[in-house]
Amino acid sequence: MATEAESVEEIKRRIMEIAERMIEDIERGEFPSIRYPPNSKGNIEFREDVGYIFRPKTFSEIEGDRVKSVKTLAGVLYGLAKALDHLENGLTMTKRDFYYLHKVERLKGTLFPEDQRETDARIVLMELILGAPREAFSITSDPRGWIYGDIELVDMTGRTIRADRVGEMGYSVPPRPENIKFKRIGVKAVVAVEKVGPAKNMIELGIPEEYNLAIAILKGQASRSMRRFLRMLSDEGVPIAILTDFSPWSLRIAATVVYNSISSAHIPYLAAPEARFIGIMAEDVETGFFKDYQFALEPLTQADLKAAMDNVHLPNLQHPFWQRENEWFLKNKKKAELEIFKAMSPSAKELKELFVSYLREKLEDRLGVSI
Amino acid sequence: MGGGLKELEQISAADFFYRNRSLAGFDNPVRATYTTVRELVENALDASELAGRPPKVMLTMEEVAEGRLEGTAVYMLRVRDNGVGLDPEDVPAAFGKVFVSSKYKLMQSRGTFGLGGTMALLYGQITTNRPFKVITGREGSPLYEFTMKIDIQKNEPIVLDRRILAGVTRRSMTTVELYFEGNYRRARSKIIDYLHQTAIVTPYADIMFIDPDGLFFFFARTTDQIPPPPKETKFHPKGIDFELLKRLAETTNTRKLAGFLTTHFQRVGPKTAAEILARAGLSPDLSPKRLSDEELERLFKALVTYDNYLPPDPSVLSPLGPNLWEEGIKKELRPEFVKAVQRPPAVVEGHPVIVETAIAYGGDIKPAGEIQLYRFANRIPLLYDVSSDVSYLVARRLNWSVYGLKSLEDEPIALFFHVVSTKVPFKTVGKEFIANKPELAREVELGWRACARDLRIYLSRKRRAASAARRVELLSRYYALIAEVLEELTGERPPIETVLAKVARKAKVEVPVEVRESGDGS
Repeated sequence: MATEAESVEEIKRRIMEIAERMIEDIERGEFPSIRYPPNSKGNIEFREDVGYIFRPKTFSEIEGDRVKSVKTLAGVLYGLAKALDHLENGLTMTKRDFYYLHKVERLKGTLFPEDQRETDARIVLMELILGAPREAFSITSDPRGWIYGDIELVDMTGRTIRADRVGEMGYSVPPRPENIKFKRIGVKAVVAVEKVGPAKNMIELGIPEEYNLAIAILKGQASRSMRRFLRMLSDEGVPIAILTDFSPWSLRIAATVVYNSISSAHIPYLAAPEARFIGIMAEDVETGFFKDYQFALEPLTQADLKAAMDNVHLPNLQHPFWQRENEWFLKNKKKAELEIFKAMSPSAKELKELFVSYLREKLEDRLGVSI
Repeated sequence: MGGGLKELEQISAADFFYRNRSLAGFDNPVRATYTTVRELVENALDASELAGRPPKVMLTMEEVAEGRLEGTAVYMLRVRDNGVGLDPEDVPAAFGKVFVSSKYKLMQSRGTFGLGGTMALLYGQITTNRPFKVITGREGSPLYEFTMKIDIQKNEPIVLDRRILAGVTRRSMTTVELYFEGNYRRARSKIIDYLHQTAIVTPYADIMFIDPDGLFFFFARTTDQIPPPPKETKFHPKGIDFELLKRLAETTNTRKLAGFLTTHFQRVGPKTAAEILARAGLSPDLSPKRLSDEELERLFKALVTYDNYLPPDPSVLSPLGPNLWEEGIKKELRPEFVKAVQRPPAVVEGHPVIVETAIAYGGDIKPAGEIQLYRFANRIPLLYDVSSDVSYLVARRLNWSVYGLKSLEDEPIALFFHVVSTKVPFKTVGKEFIANKPELAREVELGWRACARDLRIYLSRKRRAASAARRVELLSRYYALIAEVLEELTGERPPIETVLAKVARKAKVEVPVEVRESGDGS
């Protein structure tokens, strides 16, 4: 699944090419510079059917003769050298590791960082320069996210794994899921759940086994690796459903799975445009599933409200559906959390019924999947 | 001067000053010590300049006895100049009589009070009852020594002894030696300040001082250029007061009013005189000596209200000029930048005035936490009452940030203000600060702004050079790292030196240090 651009050899080649070009510049008596497509607004397009796409029209130059950018130039070069060293030795690093690689004696007075934001920003720059996600040059993001269900896959180490036989939360999605090969997919659909609690309940209640579903646990905003993994499943033809709170943040979480986000727009294959949001949505609260449980709604916090106001302008929330959902927050200043199922069901048996009936209705309605 | 000012020279007696000595700066032993030194130094400088040669003033001060008051002592002060020397016949009157001095004439000169050193001699005599000595001689003539006292009541010199020290004087000179009671210890810093500032405004003078502790101060000249001496002129009608007019009328040799006006005033010809007399309703044929007080008053009014005079003749003034001014500042304060500006002549209360300003920056000048302002009037440093001075008010009012300066208090900057006039517009009898006259404030402001414009250019050039140097330094640091990393990656160290040499060359914009080599100051 790994694209050619992300292969270790290709990354090494690109790093060396950048180094060679800098040497050539210097030998010509010129200051070196690095040209790259910035992830600026103008270079990012949004299309409802594919999500965010990175289509560089303009390029930036990290100029080595300027006081303002020489640090960036040296920083990028140093970062690339460290990445190459890690790649060659099969070692990975976290963003924190990368930060500590700069907290060294020899960088005092030059690249020694004030805080991690400095080095984090440079990772994004390196992604843009190399045209590859950080994982391709050995910087791993938080491997956050699990999937539980009847899916058999072969991971990077060559082991075959069944995602409903590996612990109570299922298979932990690795930092570089592109190396995974699917062997057999026995589920009708994947339900990606924002919150750990309700997702675990579904697993504990045996819903995946009984209804041939996989439960993906996002734990908040879906990590890059989780989004890539969901995209891979989607590419395999598996319907993806997204189940989140009904809040301004959750709209973003859902939309990020479907369309990717601006900040990672330059990384391809992170959007799953075929995925569908199955709630909780405004109509559920107003007239649908939860209409009798409005007392269980939570008030919006100041931060929630601010997020709702910002949502008005987010490119990936411009579809009338998202805007209608968002307007509800601005009007009612309330939100519904997935835990609302608990408010409806004093007993475990009832809870399972509620989950199943909600999923049945929504999967049918939004994805045409019957369970 | 034409007419008969001679009799004016005796208008006052020595004992008037004895009774009013605080007016003349002798109110306490500390101030009196300072004033004594100052009066004699100024006399010496004037004498040398009149001779057209670079002044060489040698002061010696010795403590000879304890004083009557706590902290005071009796001092011997000897001041020697290299002026033309005096004719022995003139010595008694010149030194032994109050108001005999070249200063009671319309010409720019130093003396603050028009008394020369006589007041100092008088003060010495009053406090110690000792005679003073004058040793003087003209090149080629005998060298005389006078031992004298002043008869205070009669305002007459008493010559106690007169002798010839040498048959032939090798170089013209005058030495005055007197005893006085004072307090050097507490006057010391003011005296040194005074000499230091005098050196700033007189860069062509050698000033030496051996103080009572045996310390030797030497303010050496760095140029032998002397500003052109002032010319004497008549009074401008706008610059007189009633008393002066009355005295002129009483003492004149002219017979008719028309002639009186054209003879004693500048910018008054027959036509102007006729117009003024017509306005005053006085016949041109009247005798000035016979005018009644009422008629004199009419004449005075007509003279000062008439508006068609040409402005007063500025050739009576002797400004330093920008070159000497900068020279003096450079030699005493060693700034990295100095700019002096001489304003065109202006008129304040009927008297011609020229304002000179300067600004010095950096070098030995350090931020002082307060405005560093050097003030001079007719080449005399003004050391007291700075905060009331017109120049101080202008300094506070000006928006210096326009010229790239954050605050005068916290920057290494010194301001200079020199006013020359036949009548310096002092505000008070103490004559230590210049009145806040709008015409004057305007001159000071325009002068400083002209200096500040140059300073701004200098500072921005300097800052650019500094930031270029910083850039070279910073790029060098990063390229050392870049070369290292590239060598790790490729095994080959790129020749960053050539690239860096290029920026270094470009950055070498010469810091244009305004401090030129000392010398002729041109």
